[in-house]
Amino acid sequence: MVLAKPIVETADLKKTYILGKVPVNALRGVNLKVEKGDFLAILGPSGSGKSTLLNMIGALDKPTEGKVFIDGVDVSTLNDNQLADLRRSIGFVFQFFNLIPRLNAIGNVELPMAVSGLGKNERRKHAEELLETVGLKERMKHKPAELSGGERQRVAIARALANNPGFLLMDEPTGNIDSKTAREIMGLVKRLNEDEGVTIIMITHDQQLATQATRIVKMLDGSIIKEIDQL
Amino acid sequence: MKVGDVFSYAFGAIRLRKLRAGLTTLGVVIGIAAIVALLSISQGLQVTITDQLQSGFATDTLIVSPGSGGGMFSGVGGGIGGSGSDFSLMVTDTQLINEIEGVVTSAAIIQEVGYIKSGDRTVQAYVVGVDFEVYSEVYGSTFVAESGEILLNPEAGTVVVVVVGKRVSDPWQNGTIVCGVNGSVEIVWTNTTVRPAENKTYAVTVAAVLEEIGGLSLTGPSDSAVYIPISQAQSFFGTDECDRIVVKIANEDDATIEAVSDAIEEAFSGQVSVRSSTAVLNTISSVFSTIELFLAGIAAISLLVAGVGIMNIMIVSLMERTREIGILKALGMKSRTVLAIFISEAVIVGLLGATFGIGLGWVLANVAATIFTGGGIAVATGQGAVSGAFAITPILTPTLLMGAFGFGIAVSVIFAIYPAWRASKLKPVEALRYE
Repeated sequence: MVLAKPIVETADLKKTYILGKVPVNALRGVNLKVEKGDFLAILGPSGSGKSTLLNMIGALDKPTEGKVFIDGVDVSTLNDNQLADLRRSIGFVFQFFNLIPRLNAIGNVELPMAVSGLGKNERRKHAEELLETVGLKERMKHKPAELSGGERQRVAIARALANNPGFLLMDEPTGNIDSKTAREIMGLVKRLNEDEGVTIIMITHDQQLATQATRIVKMLDGSIIKEIDQL
Repeated sequence: MKVGDVFSYAFGAIRLRKLRAGLTTLGVVIGIAAIVALLSISQGLQVTITDQLQSGFATDTLIVSPGSGGGMFSGVGGGIGGSGSDFSLMVTDTQLINEIEGVVTSAAIIQEVGYIKSGDRTVQAYVVGVDFEVYSEVYGSTFVAESGEILLNPEAGTVVVVVVGKRVSDPWQNGTIVCGVNGSVEIVWTNTTVRPAENKTYAVTVAAVLEEIGGLSLTGPSDSAVYIPISQAQSFFGTDECDRIVVKIANEDDATIEAVSDAIEEAFSGQVSVRSSTAVLNTISSVFSTIELFLAGIAAISLLVAGVGIMNIMIVSLMERTREIGILKALGMKSRTVLAIFISEAVIVGLLGATFGIGLGWVLANVAATIFTGGGIAVATGQGAVSGAFAITPILTPTLLMGAFGFGIAVSVIFAIYPAWRASKLKPVEALRYE
């Protein structure tokens, strides 16, 4: 089997925060490879450094040491504008949805496409398709406040898919949803991975949820302590 | 992100906070309204005053008065200008002036303030001694009889005849004629150069009443004057000196005005000052420009206050929207697009503020003008002999319109630059974490 270039790769990634006057080593040298089509769960308790790792992979934050390669590109060499361009090829899904409250569902899904400079008709059509994929076509005119937690997260997933990203980065995607809806969301995520071939990196503290993934990486105190391949 | 999308996103953000945006815009509205109202009124006033002055003006005339660098209002009323020089202009100096090339003719003017007495009625008036023939040639359009006849050679008769201005004849503008044609009146003048001051009285017959001239008539014929033949004036006032000489020139080209002015000054060895009517108007314009600048400055302060308000509101809004900015950046929005969104919001506020401000300012200017005109602005002429009411029409020039528009938007944008820059510099990971 010939392996393509990994879509995400970290090399000895370190991140140190200064909290007050005390340095906190959030990441202590993480080496990780994510291949196209993977469904990777990063599992760990709070404070294990998994969110910090997610920020690095998402080009939202810069490492103190080490490197992050996204699609073979060294993120540390990119300037502000190039980082913004890079983020368009990443689909973010947050624990608290992070939808824009004043835009309705379809407006939120259209937003990343508008940011990319897509025309109005084109993005409206694509947004409708995406909302249909996540099963929310009927409620696309509703604002986030009029949607349930599960529905909001579906909108967020549709939004994350808007620019046909190289991979989805999910930060506790079901952390704020009841367990029944969480199962539905996970079903959707799994389907996206299996049927559409979307690469997914998900962080969670929920062991049960992590079992849905094809690979699990366990983190503790800023280091990867265990890797489980479930295939 | 496309420009249209940036604007519609910014507009959406403004619409979300209607009251706040409304109040911010109100600041700009007030500032722009103040500028438009003050400037359109002062421009209207300038035009009104210039018109009033021009109605008594002949633009092909020069005024020669004694003293170098005389003041601009040394015409009627006789003497704000002039200087401490001992030099005096003589009535006969017209001969010297008439010889200068480019001069058509010239009229010496002796002027004092006196009273016209008719029965129990007394009216204050300028008593002006001129050569009727020359004077009517110089001021062919204004020194014109409405009733009676201006006798071009009045000294031929035995009775002293005079010509009176409309305001002297009918001082209250209600048909109460103090002195009409063929009426006998007395001119009273107090000679204050002798001690004790001496009242001189002079019985005359009115030969003609002038057509109404209107205006403030700084240099030409005035509604508030009584004209007597120059020789009579010389003996009545006991002087051969004149206050000024009006010179009619061949044409009103700048070159002619300058050449004749220089020649006259040279002829009197620089002891006289020569002013053209045009120069007086220019001086008035420049005075108005200064006043306008001052008014604009005051109004601009209110706009700056509005600008500070915009900045304040945007910084608050920035804090509220930190998370939103984090989301936008996570979605791949560039810093300069975030900057553009915030600047666009300011542009929209400025645009709305300027539009409504110009409208409001225009309404205010017209309301104010109506109140002023209704109440009548008394403009004292000379030494307060007569006052007249006139209407001000506010004027909104394209320059003022565009200027107000541009200024409103510029102030909004300038004060938005700092908050917008701060918004654009937010780090996505920190902005997303912001509660």
